[in-house]
Amino acid sequence: MGLLENIQKNIADNPILINSEAAFSKFLELGFPDIKNEEWKYTSLKKVISYEYEIEKNTEEISEKEIKSNSLNFHNAIIFLNGKIYSKPKIKGVTISNFEDQNPSFDNAITALNASIASNGYSISVDSNTVVSEPIEILFLTKNSSNNFIQYRNNINVEENSEVKIVEHIKNLSEKICFTNSVTLVKLKKYAKIEHNKLQDNNDNQISIDHTYVDQDKNSISTINTLIFGGLFTRNNLNFTQNGERGESNMNGIVILDNKEFADNHTFMDHKMPNCESNELYKGIYLGRAKGVFNGKIMVQPDAQKINAFQANNNLLLSDNSSINSKPQLEIYADDVKCSHGCTIGQLDENALFYMNTRGISKEDAKAILTFAFASEALDKITIKELSSLARDLMSKKLNVNLSF
Amino acid sequence: MKKEELSEDELLDQVTSTEYKYGFTTKMDSDTIPKGLSEDVVRLISKKKNEPEWMLKYRLEAYKIWLSMEEPDWANVKYKKPNYQDIIYYSAPQPKKKLDSLDDLDPELKKTFDKLGISVNEQKRLSNVAVDIVMDSVSVATSFKSTLAKLGIIFCSISEAIQEHPELVKRYLGTVVPSGDNFFSALNAAVFSDGSFCYIPKGSKCPMELSTYFRINEAGTGQFERTLLIADEGSYVSYLEGCTAPQRDENQLHAAVVELIALDNAEIKYSTVQNWYPGNKDGIGGVFNFVTKRGICHKNSKISWTQVETGSAVTWKYPSCILKGDNSVGEFFSVAVTNNFQQADTGTKMIHLGKNSKSTIIAKGICAGKSDGSYRGLVHISKGAKNSRNFSQCDSLLMGDKCGSHTFPYIEVKNNSSQVEHEATTSKIGEDQIFYCNQRGIGTEEAIALIVNGYCKDVLNQLPMEFAVEAQKLLEISLEGSVG
Repeated sequence: MGLLENIQKNIADNPILINSEAAFSKFLELGFPDIKNEEWKYTSLKKVISYEYEIEKNTEEISEKEIKSNSLNFHNAIIFLNGKIYSKPKIKGVTISNFEDQNPSFDNAITALNASIASNGYSISVDSNTVVSEPIEILFLTKNSSNNFIQYRNNINVEENSEVKIVEHIKNLSEKICFTNSVTLVKLKKYAKIEHNKLQDNNDNQISIDHTYVDQDKNSISTINTLIFGGLFTRNNLNFTQNGERGESNMNGIVILDNKEFADNHTFMDHKMPNCESNELYKGIYLGRAKGVFNGKIMVQPDAQKINAFQANNNLLLSDNSSINSKPQLEIYADDVKCSHGCTIGQLDENALFYMNTRGISKEDAKAILTFAFASEALDKITIKELSSLARDLMSKKLNVNLSF
Repeated sequence: MKKEELSEDELLDQVTSTEYKYGFTTKMDSDTIPKGLSEDVVRLISKKKNEPEWMLKYRLEAYKIWLSMEEPDWANVKYKKPNYQDIIYYSAPQPKKKLDSLDDLDPELKKTFDKLGISVNEQKRLSNVAVDIVMDSVSVATSFKSTLAKLGIIFCSISEAIQEHPELVKRYLGTVVPSGDNFFSALNAAVFSDGSFCYIPKGSKCPMELSTYFRINEAGTGQFERTLLIADEGSYVSYLEGCTAPQRDENQLHAAVVELIALDNAEIKYSTVQNWYPGNKDGIGGVFNFVTKRGICHKNSKISWTQVETGSAVTWKYPSCILKGDNSVGEFFSVAVTNNFQQADTGTKMIHLGKNSKSTIIAKGICAGKSDGSYRGLVHISKGAKNSRNFSQCDSLLMGDKCGSHTFPYIEVKNNSSQVEHEATTSKIGEDQIFYCNQRGIGTEEAIALIVNGYCKDVLNQLPMEFAVEAQKLLEISLEGSVG
């Protein structure tokens, strides 16, 4: 039995699980995508869905100590234990609750599955004219005695002239596989601003597929930073839609993978209205037998004139067995635009390494300095100090060096 | 200076209301078989060409493969799929006697060529180009054959090659583009009626440009030509290809296959100026250009594709290089112009297998009217292709707000000693650029011409002299009113 049979059996045993019949029948109709699907060309789910899973069942206790040691310990923290909301902060002007999507939307098999069985997730609603001064941490902890398949469905709503910063973090504490399928819907009203950080320093038992949809009204600014420092299998789908003029969308990503880790970043930027801007920067560093995929699509709809859209994807392959597949795409239907994408794949500069060696810097240190410098352009986009220093620590750990500068 | 007052919109109007200059038909008797495709038709074509048994077998196998395949639809183009039973698969201009010299050429045919501006006569001696002309499906004239034969160079129609050099054809045909490669290559392998064949012997440098001119004449026909070009060890050849078709309301299918083989230390330069009928300005008619072109590079060899694509209603082609040998080099230079309702999905594939292999891709797209242009390319660096290098640049220039420009590059890298760079930009001609020119007394129209010319220069520079002139002219026609 694989995941599909596990799900079907579970639902046959317990029909109340389904939120949306339409979504579930869509999922059954489409099935899990295979590599013949253009969007999944380089990302095979075959192995991921061949494992045995329990559906939405977590049994193991998680102690306070474990929570503390895995959290960033921000003042504002929403903590989920085994899929259920455990604690949430009280913040002035912000409403936080468990998200119950009455009318779940979906646009592919994976999100249809999420729409049909997800019953947990956060809902954050920021009132108008509110600047949330401290960042909100969202921590999902799971611990289970068997492989587990779990869904989250989240909602963030930022009203006019408001601003919020978020750090989202998923952690599997057990030796068994946790497969997380999450969907996050972000809505920005006019002049709203969000910085959403996804910290994915997953261990080798974490499989994650994430879909984030950002819907922007005029003059809103959204930034999503993705920090991938591990994980057996990670697939992120970021979809931005600009529904008003003068919007700005930013995506930054750092991917550092080792061993047999795999990460796929899929981004889609939909420019529907004129005078907007988007910036995209993804840096990938691959060691061991790690595999990376990048797929970035920029769409400029007819009449969306005066668009500036920039995309860059830079990759370092630092081992013989690592590989990268990159697919930057532009689809442009308006003429008065400035759009570009750039993609590079290469190694550290031999001359730079040699230069440092001649100045007494060891080979390892020189490599670390250059690698770190390579990633720092994306790292600098993070405005939360605690997160940025944590990211540095995680990076040096991953690269196996001591970055004491 | 007279048109200086033209506003940009007016200029665009001019650009989009251009006529196709090669749209005439030639009244000639032709030997045409009935419409439709079946095993019998494949046999009939083979019989008409008086082909040996192995060739018929090859065709029938390809036909079987084709039957089992589905027409692909992944390209970013929209068109009404042709009815494959409604196409004439073989049409040959009559009378079909063997030509000894070009003086024996049918006067009607000669007139056609004169209109096309290709002189199949002594002029060619001056410009030093040997031409093979393929009309509808059959090669009608090949010039300079004997001069080339002295050097051991074989340049003839492929049906002649099947008769006279079966060992070469048998050895190489279908090795780079197998019949089952894709839907159109299978169709081509089953029904191809003619095309060019060229063999350059070891160590020789072909003293003149070789050229093939393709023309669809008969209504309702499809053109399926096959080109096979073999450059033996240490040889060099530059090959040109041009094409035109009459103006018709129907969509004619052109599904060609080109195979290049560059053996050790050989170099092939393959240039195309594609000017099939693009359809009228309402998007009616025009040629469907679904072509498979691929070359294989052995050790230290080089294949360079240069293409200027201005014609066809729908273009769907990816001239590719398989860089099999160590130190092999692949190049791709392309200018694709789309206007009115034209659609082009074109690009290249560079498959790096050998060590130190290098590839360069420069693709320039110009879109006007309501057209759509796409660049689709693959750079694949396999694990064994150590120290290989790729540079890709694909730029699009948009003229008008109803056109679309797209890029779909695929980059796959499987080792850590290779370097790959890719960059793409999309923009329109900057108002500041035009203003700057205006300031210096250059009219808006000339300024656009200047900028477009400069934009394409990287590619046009790669074309042999004779073709560069033609390509410039074509750009002019395709974007008339703005390019001079």
